Parts: sequence; structure tokens; C-alpha cells
Amino acid sequence: MTTTAAPSSLLSLHSLSLAFSGVQALSDVSLEVDEGSLTAVIGPNGAGKTSLFNCISGVYQPQQGTLRFAEHDLRSLRPHRIAASGVARMFQNLALFDQLTVLENLLLGCHHLYGSRWWDDLLWLRRARRQEVSHRHHAEQIIDFLDLESYRRTPVGALPYGVLKRVELGRALCMQPKLLLLDEPAAGLNQEETEDMARYLLDIKEEMGVTQIIIEHDLGLVMDLADSVLVLDFGREIASGSPATVQNHPSVIEAYLGRPAQQDPA
Amino acid sequence: MSAALQSTLPGQLALLAASRPDDVALREKRLGIWQEISWKHYLAEVAATGRMLCELGVGPGDHVAILSDNRPEWLFADLASQGIGARAVGIYQTNPPADVAYILQHSGSRVLFCEDQEQVDKVLEGTDDTPDLQHIVVFDPRGTRSYDEPRLRPWSEFIARGRELLATEPGWFLDEIESRHPGEPSMVVYTSGTTGQPKGALLSSKNVVATASNMAPMLGLAQGDSLLSYLPLCHVAEKIFSLFLPLSTGAVVHFGESIATVREDLRDVSPTVFLGVPRIWEKVHASVLLKMQDSSWLKRTLFDFFSRKGREAAERQLAGQARITDRITRLLGDLLVFRALQERLGLRRCHLPCSGAAPISRDLLLWFHGIGVPIVEGYGMTECGGVSHITPPGRARLGSVGPVIQGTQCRIADDGEILLRGDNVFAGYLHNREASEETVRDGWLHTGDIGEEDANGYLRITGRKKEIIITAGGKNLSPEKIENALKTSPYLREAVAIGDGRKFISALVQVDYETTARWADRHELPYTSYADLVGKAEVRALVSEEVGRANQLLARVEQVREFTILGKELHQDDGELTATQKIRRQAVTQIYGELIEAMYGGEAWSS
Repeated sequence: MTTTAAPSSLLSLHSLSLAFSGVQALSDVSLEVDEGSLTAVIGPNGAGKTSLFNCISGVYQPQQGTLRFAEHDLRSLRPHRIAASGVARMFQNLALFDQLTVLENLLLGCHHLYGSRWWDDLLWLRRARRQEVSHRHHAEQIIDFLDLESYRRTPVGALPYGVLKRVELGRALCMQPKLLLLDEPAAGLNQEETEDMARYLLDIKEEMGVTQIIIEHDLGLVMDLADSVLVLDFGREIASGSPATVQNHPSVIEAYLGRPAQQDPA
Repeated sequence: MSAALQSTLPGQLALLAASRPDDVALREKRLGIWQEISWKHYLAEVAATGRMLCELGVGPGDHVAILSDNRPEWLFADLASQGIGARAVGIYQTNPPADVAYILQHSGSRVLFCEDQEQVDKVLEGTDDTPDLQHIVVFDPRGTRSYDEPRLRPWSEFIARGRELLATEPGWFLDEIESRHPGEPSMVVYTSGTTGQPKGALLSSKNVVATASNMAPMLGLAQGDSLLSYLPLCHVAEKIFSLFLPLSTGAVVHFGESIATVREDLRDVSPTVFLGVPRIWEKVHASVLLKMQDSSWLKRTLFDFFSRKGREAAERQLAGQARITDRITRLLGDLLVFRALQERLGLRRCHLPCSGAAPISRDLLLWFHGIGVPIVEGYGMTECGGVSHITPPGRARLGSVGPVIQGTQCRIADDGEILLRGDNVFAGYLHNREASEETVRDGWLHTGDIGEEDANGYLRITGRKKEIIITAGGKNLSPEKIENALKTSPYLREAVAIGDGRKFISALVQVDYETTARWADRHELPYTSYADLVGKAEVRALVSEEVGRANQLLARVEQVREFTILGKELHQDDGELTATQKIRRQAVTQIYGELIEAMYGGEAWSS
């Protein structure tokens, strides 16, 4: 991928490298993500996709390279500051509280936006009240957006997996992010649920204008949705560009399907 | 006051908006909160919609289609079209693209009100067949903004422009209503089409307004009533409860969040009048039984005891042999079990639970009477404005749909067919003179249903004329009665009785996936899908037991001797069900012909 920063680029990674002792998880990975775009990161298992997300969200500290998000240098920020700066993440293995209802889980997503002082909350002053109403309103908009109305008061632990995925997406959206990191949003979903998820991702892009980076194994989904694709293998970038270019790239075919067998000279 | 105001639906709205401007007319749950719409606001929105439709070139005699879930905008678009002399055409949201295109094309609709992207996609798919369609107004335009389709416009823009136009001539809409004639067709209601392509029945204000105002006092309806609008508004039954009755009494209509939240909405609203089709009542029955299986021993025992006692008491009461002890057990049952149960179901305040649109089983009715929900049955068809017979509350007779309503005459023809005459009989089918002439002969509407009247004028429906089964033994049987007996089981969702020209009755049954899956879970029976589940020997044994139980409700010749569980769920998209989820009997017997033959051991038709 070219490293010349486009003027509208929201996230910019340059020569990022991450190693755990001897294991090189990421080496020299660069990525530019334009505002309002949907970028896909694909690659075989262990290629370093989730490590890349962990670097962006501050869970891992890369040893080399630069990581800029809007005006922030992410390498110097703690994870909670990164979240507050507008990066939200939808986890593959779901980050929800089973005992809480869907609505409560979504309101927890709004938690980092709370600006009231503890005494406002204790005395239930106007500021705290107003804030509570505005967060509930926001959570309700997400419920409407993701068609979660019928599950509003259901404890999350009692919901089927397909719905849980939507709630997890909703929780991330409640953080009102500028950048949304989606780790395998369609994994474990059936055909119909996958189509719904694709619809939601497109709507998030078109209606909300939120920039998204998505890790996904369902290549059909990636090719349909993504504006650009980054392919990783063994922590290295092997191809990047538009879905069509990447699809026909020889290294990508090799990484996914293996090297063609040597022709028998006989 | 002009006659057009009292005798047309938009006129009734104008009168209510004048007499009770600030009272609540509609409530809609949006973003978790019930928002109120007053009569004044209701009329203003209808007027703005009408003004804008006129701006788009819609005039008297034109058609305006609506393809949406129930929501206030549905009523705005419907009444606005009627107000300017056009006819509103409802289309089922569950219709596949081809059926949507058929109705748009057949009605020649010029403007379509569309729910959301999903529905817009279906309309655009059939765009080649709908050359008359000039404008598509989208209520929820999410996802359609990037479409390169000049006919699309969002509702918000549409209504804002209508308000703007109306601001310069505020009296415009009232003038329009005043010039309407009650007898002119103002709605097209497409019948569900169990036997072929749907037909568009033309209804006028005259057909429905008088009926509604006669019916309301008889049923004890008043302006304090509240209703929940949730069945498809394209069907005449929901139109009666969302439009005709509220506009004549001033009752409040509620719109829930979505079709998936009906149970929660029902509990929120606790309506005083509730219309359910038999399928809804069957579902309520099944959900209560399932909940009870999971509850504590004490609750279960109390429930079993009192619902049995309640049922016996109801049976005696309906036969006119109520005992004093019945009242005591009912009171106790109400205190200990049924009050809480009714509150859970959202039926505690309901003084008029109705069932209509399809026959309901006697057993189910008794059960509901027993738990203190005295469902009344009504009868009618689209062609007579939706209703011709209804049971007055408190004077129910099981198995009867009640006496004929005021203003309508009913006669039983020599062959048993029910004939109707009165102001409510429709004006004919749209673009189908042949069918119109066949249906209304010498002023009598031929319903196609077979029935009999008792000495008190109560009508009992025995079946559809075209669907009567004549067994090889020459017995005339109604497949519906047999099917309803089967569907009383919480584990059976659909049933198709077969036996015309055969030696015995057999049935194709579709298992209710939800309840049977829970049964399988409880019995630790692993399964992967519907097909896998119904293939299990245990499930077959369960169904066999349920069929045996249903047989006890039937006469000997009606009993189901053989059955086959369908390997898939019947679906509208496969042409097996109509939009109202009624079985297309011919299609089903054709598709599953082999299964049927197998039940009879491949024997040839014996007639």
C-alpha cells in the first residue's frame, strides 16, 4: 500500500512492527484509512489481523512505526484514552455482560461519554438527568437501527448468537465512534444473518458516516462491502488495494490456496 | 353540515378533529416512548398528504398503493387518498416481488407509499411491469439515498412540501372532502387469493361507515376504548379496527414498534378491544401452556385445576345452565391465577376480545372462555365491508358467529350457501366484471360459504362451498373443522385435511418449530434443523399422540387415520400460503401429491 498520506486519511499506520520475543506478529505494515471508508483486513489464521487491531486500540504496544488517528499519536495514548478519542471495537468473542439486559449493555457503551461529576449523579441534578436522557435516546436510536426492539429488556445471556452479534455491534456504536474496528462480525452467523449484518455495515457507512475497518473470513462479504483491502500473511503485507486487484493478486491466491504443484517434467 | 362529512371516513375524521381537537387519536411507540397524535394533528397530516398527492397529479378515480407495516402514515396515506377521491390499495409487506408488481400493475397505481429499503428493492425488481407507477414515497429512506431512481422521495420531504402548499389554502382539504360522494369506491382491498390471483374488491364509504356506527353501540364501544393495530392494514379486518370503528367512536389506536414486539406492545397498551385471527389465539394458547410447563408445581397445579373448572363452567354457561358454584370457582380462579395471567397477556382490560378472518376451533374458544377471556366470533368477508355477523358480548353461542348485523339481510340458498344483501355489499371487483357479476347476483352477495341459521338467527358456518370433502362413503365433511381440531395442539402449526373421494381422512401436518424445539430440548433430543427435528421418531410419536387427542374432538368419519409431517415449513414465497397465511389448498395438495398418495398406499381414486 502506498504510504503517501491522503489529505482525508483518518487513520494512518506507517511501518508498524510488533514482536513477542522471537515471534514477529507484524512486520513493516502500513495502512491509510480514508474518512468514511470501509477497509477490510484479510489473511489466513495467525496472519496478524487481530494483533493489528490490538495495536490500534492500544492493547499491544508496537516496537516500531507510527500510528496516527486524526490528530492523535495513538502510540502515546493509554487504551481508555484511545477509546475516548473515538475508536470503538466490536470483539469477535463478544464483550457483553450476560446478566444485564440489551438496553443496559448498550448504555454501558455510552459510559465513556458521561461528563457529570459524582455529586451531580448522587443528587440527581439537572445535568445528570439531562445526560441520562440523551444517552438513553442515543441507545434507543441504535436499538431502532439494529432492530433490537423485541430484545430491549431481555438479559443478554438468554439471547441466540446471531442477536448477540448485533448487540455487540450496538454496544460499539453506542460509543459514538469515528472509527469502528470490527473483528469478524459475520463469524458464526447463518446466511440470512450474514446478509443482515452486511446491510447494517453499509448503513453505518452511508447513514452514519462512520469509518470502519473489518476483519473477515467471508471473502464474498469483503469483496461486496470493502472500498479497499489489506492482505496479511505471517505478519507481512502481501497485497493491498481495491477488492478486484487484491482478488487476482498471485500472492493472495498462493496464501489462501497454496502454491500450485510443480509440473511433472515427464 | 354536509352529508359527505358524516358519511365518509375522511369526513368523520374532520368532524372529530373539530369536536375533540386536542384529544389523543393515535399513539405510536418510537424510540421506546409512546408518542401521541391528536385528532387535530391527525387531520392536518392527512390534509397535507392529500394536498401533496394532488400536486403529484393524483385525482378522483386514481389509485394510490401502500406497501408498509402498520404505522400512522399508513392511515394518513389511506384517508388522504380517499379525501381527494382516489382509492387506496394496500399491499401485503410479505408479498414476494412478483405479487407486489401484480397488484401495482393491476390497480394501475400512480403513487406508492413504501415502508423501507427492503420493500423498495422488491418494487424496483418488478419495475418493468409497473409503467404507471410515477412516484415512490419512502417512510424510512435509510439505505435508499444512494439509489439512482428519480421516482423515490422520502416521506419527510413529501409531507413537508404538502404542509407548505396547504399553508396558503388551509380550507382546501375540507372542500375536497365535501365534494366526495359516499357511494363512490374509495378503497381497493385485494382478497388473499386462496384459489387464484388476488381480486381487488372496491369498497366505498357507504359500505363501511353505517356498519361501523351500527356495530359500535351493540358491541359497547365508546370513545374511551383503546386498540392495538398490528394485523396487516391491507386486510379489511384490521381496517375495521384501525379505521372504521375508531373514526366512528373516537377510540385511540396504538401502533407498536414492530411486528416482532406485538407481545410487549400488547402488554404496554392493554387494549380494551382486541382482534386476533385464530392463528394469534392459537399462539397465545400455546405460549401459556409452554410457560406453565416450565413453572413451579404449585402454579401448574392451580392453573390446571382452575382452567379445567373454568372451561366446564364456560360450557355450562354457554348452554344456559350456569350454576352458583361456577361463579365461586371463577371468582377464586380469577383471584389466584387468571388475573395475573390476563395482565401478562395484556388482555386484562379487554372487554371485547374478537376472533375473525378464519374459523377458530371450538375447543380453543372454550379454553379462552375458561380463563376469563370471552372471545366473540364474527363473520364477514372483504366483499361485504368485512363484517356481516357478530356475536354480541355476553350472548355467545359456541360454534356460531352470531346474528346478522343491523342493515344487512342474510339468506341461506337452497344449496346451503350464505347470501347477503345490504348497504355493506361492495361495488364489484376492479377490472373484473365477470367475477363481479358472478359474486353479486340479483343484489345478493354469494359468499361461497355454507352455513345454517338457528331459530334465533345465529349463523353457523359449516365450510367453504368449494372445499367440502366428499368421502368415498359419500359423507360431506368440512376440512376446516378437522384442521382446526388438529391445530388446537400447541405442537401443530398447520394442517391440511385430505379425503375427497378417499376411503378415510388423512392429513399433512406442519409442526410448530418453536414449541416442538422446546419440547425436544426438554427431552434432551438433539437436532440441527427443522427438517432434522421432524424426521425424529420421537417427534412422530408426539405428533401421533396429538392427532389422537384431536380425533377425540371429531366425529368418527372425520377422524384422521393417517398423517404425514411435512419436511419443511409452508411458506408464502413457495406459493403454499397466501399473504394472510391461509393455505392454498390446491397448490399444497399438488406439491405434496406423492406424500398424499403414499398415505393411501398408492390406491387409485375410488370415485
